Amino acid sequence: MIEVVALLGVAALVAFGVRKRLAVVGTVTLAALAAAIAIVVLMPMDASGEVLELPWHMSELARLAAVVLLGTLCLLVLAVWVDEPAYNFFPTALVVAAAVLAVLVLTTPIAIYGALLLALLVPVGSFTFQVHRNRSAEAAYRHFSFVALGGCLGLSALALSASLGRDQPPSTFVLLVVILVVAFALKLAAIPFHTHAALLASEVPASALALYFGVLVPTTFIAFALILVLSGLLPAIVSIGKVQDLLLALGITSALGGAFLATGSTELRRVAVYSVIANLGQALVGIATLSGPGIIGAMAIALVTGLAATQQLLAAGTLERRAGADRPSATTAPLAALAFVVGGFAMIGAPPLVAFPGHFFVELIAYSYSPWMGTALVIATLGVLVAQLRAAMAIFRTAPERWRVERKPIAGVVGAVVFTALLIGGVQPDGFLQPIATFADQFIRALHPL
Amino acid sequence: MLLLAIVAITTLAANSARQLRYTAVAFFAVALAAHLIDDGTLAAAQVLVSAAAALVASAILFVAARDRRFGEDPGWRLWIATIVAAATTAAAFVFLRPQTGDEINTNLLGPDPSGVTTDVAAFWLLSSGIAILLTARGAVRGSLGALLMLTGTQLLVQQVPGPHLALTLLLSWLQVVVALAGAFLIVNQRAAREA
Repeated sequence: MIEVVALLGVAALVAFGVRKRLAVVGTVTLAALAAAIAIVVLMPMDASGEVLELPWHMSELARLAAVVLLGTLCLLVLAVWVDEPAYNFFPTALVVAAAVLAVLVLTTPIAIYGALLLALLVPVGSFTFQVHRNRSAEAAYRHFSFVALGGCLGLSALALSASLGRDQPPSTFVLLVVILVVAFALKLAAIPFHTHAALLASEVPASALALYFGVLVPTTFIAFALILVLSGLLPAIVSIGKVQDLLLALGITSALGGAFLATGSTELRRVAVYSVIANLGQALVGIATLSGPGIIGAMAIALVTGLAATQQLLAAGTLERRAGADRPSATTAPLAALAFVVGGFAMIGAPPLVAFPGHFFVELIAYSYSPWMGTALVIATLGVLVAQLRAAMAIFRTAPERWRVERKPIAGVVGAVVFTALLIGGVQPDGFLQPIATFADQFIRALHPL
Repeated sequence: MLLLAIVAITTLAANSARQLRYTAVAFFAVALAAHLIDDGTLAAAQVLVSAAAALVASAILFVAARDRRFGEDPGWRLWIATIVAAATTAAAFVFLRPQTGDEINTNLLGPDPSGVTTDVAAFWLLSSGIAILLTARGAVRGSLGALLMLTGTQLLVQQVPGPHLALTLLLSWLQVVVALAGAFLIVNQRAAREA
């Protein structure tokens, strides 16, 4: 595995060296990502090893998530290469790929957290553009502050919990788990820790925003679940209900808050970003139920939402660029508009897409946990539905006189690829859900160690 | 204990500096003193890696300043950060220090196998970093806060049983990336302000 991470690292250095030669850097980046995906797919299941005494393990979930997230990165690189050239994006994407892979395969919680922080800090360079004309530098600084604050707090809590003996007072572990949960909430932009996400949504380039919400936020969520399992903190969460209540409260606040903010948004990017926050809230509720279906649903929602966010944010970027000073409209980029609308189906978890089982499991388990909680999640989904419908109606307010495919319809192509993948996943859900179910088993076992 | 005193004083120096270049030099002193605190598990390789990363991080901030005068006046933030850090350090020590029941023995110059000095230094750096980061107006003090927090985190991670060198390397890389991102933001915010 170290070879794949090294390959991506070396490719990032090469890409940085040739970043202004678009054809070369695009080819190098796509080739390195494709090679990494191929190696991950061909690697035997349950392969493991050590790097400087740090153990790694290729689990079923790691393979699935690696293919989805590296595949999403490929689509993003393709979109940037063809439609929105940004020199810094290519090396950033490769470093992010290496860090994401490390997060998925490492089995030491502190190392997973360290790799995650690297992945979250690297895109700061891609967030800023034309700093004289906009507030992208401020948005990037706010993201940097949130990641540094949440990252160091979480890492310290993990280090303390690993170095303390298990005979410490329960209040100590409660405090550490609460710090860890808040640290992840800061990085996941869960409401009320979402102010940096709001600024990012309006100020940074669409491709960088898609990198963050399409790849890094799902990775952060997976890292959270992995760290909970591997750190041995789950029994403390089970024995003290307050932490579980905190997770549920954060989840419901994010689900409802994200949905309401999405409903009130007039910008396409904000609709997509707040829909992601609402879905992550649902996923947090799924994890907080500490049940098999809840965990499966949560992980499925996180991965599918990342894909849908990539599709919608790239489409929103294309629509905004084509519209110039006017309102984004389907008349200027019909395929991108279609991609945005279709992305909304995945955001709300509509069947027959593979987005459906995740939402269904989480809402079902939430109902069995408490009827009002299930109702809150259904209201949140309805809110996202209303927001997506409003956005779709705004885009198609003026119908195109002639349906003519725009020049460089890359957002439409990405949308078609993502939609097809989600449809195939929906028709064959076992291939997508089985690796997640294996992880859910591991999670449940970690709740009650022998 | 002497190193702990040096950590405290140099943190105050970094926090109160009005010029980024002084901040960078003071941060290097903080990091060096913190990594030299011996809790009985200190290894030369880890100290070398951590010190090298701190040097690189300081050098990055030093270069990002571009001229001697550039920086951010902390003003009242210095006092808020110091008071909050002192109070939080004491609270963290009370709530999060392992309750082993052993008697705490510290000395002025020698190693401290009880780990008390390391814990206090870590909590102080984390608290100072949080206070500086939360009250920062821009990337200059934001970067300092992030680097101080990370140095405190490194001290806590150092006490975790496991692959020490690998974790030291990972956190050192993280420190360099934090400094690079901070420097990038400093340069961009300055460009935006001067436009």
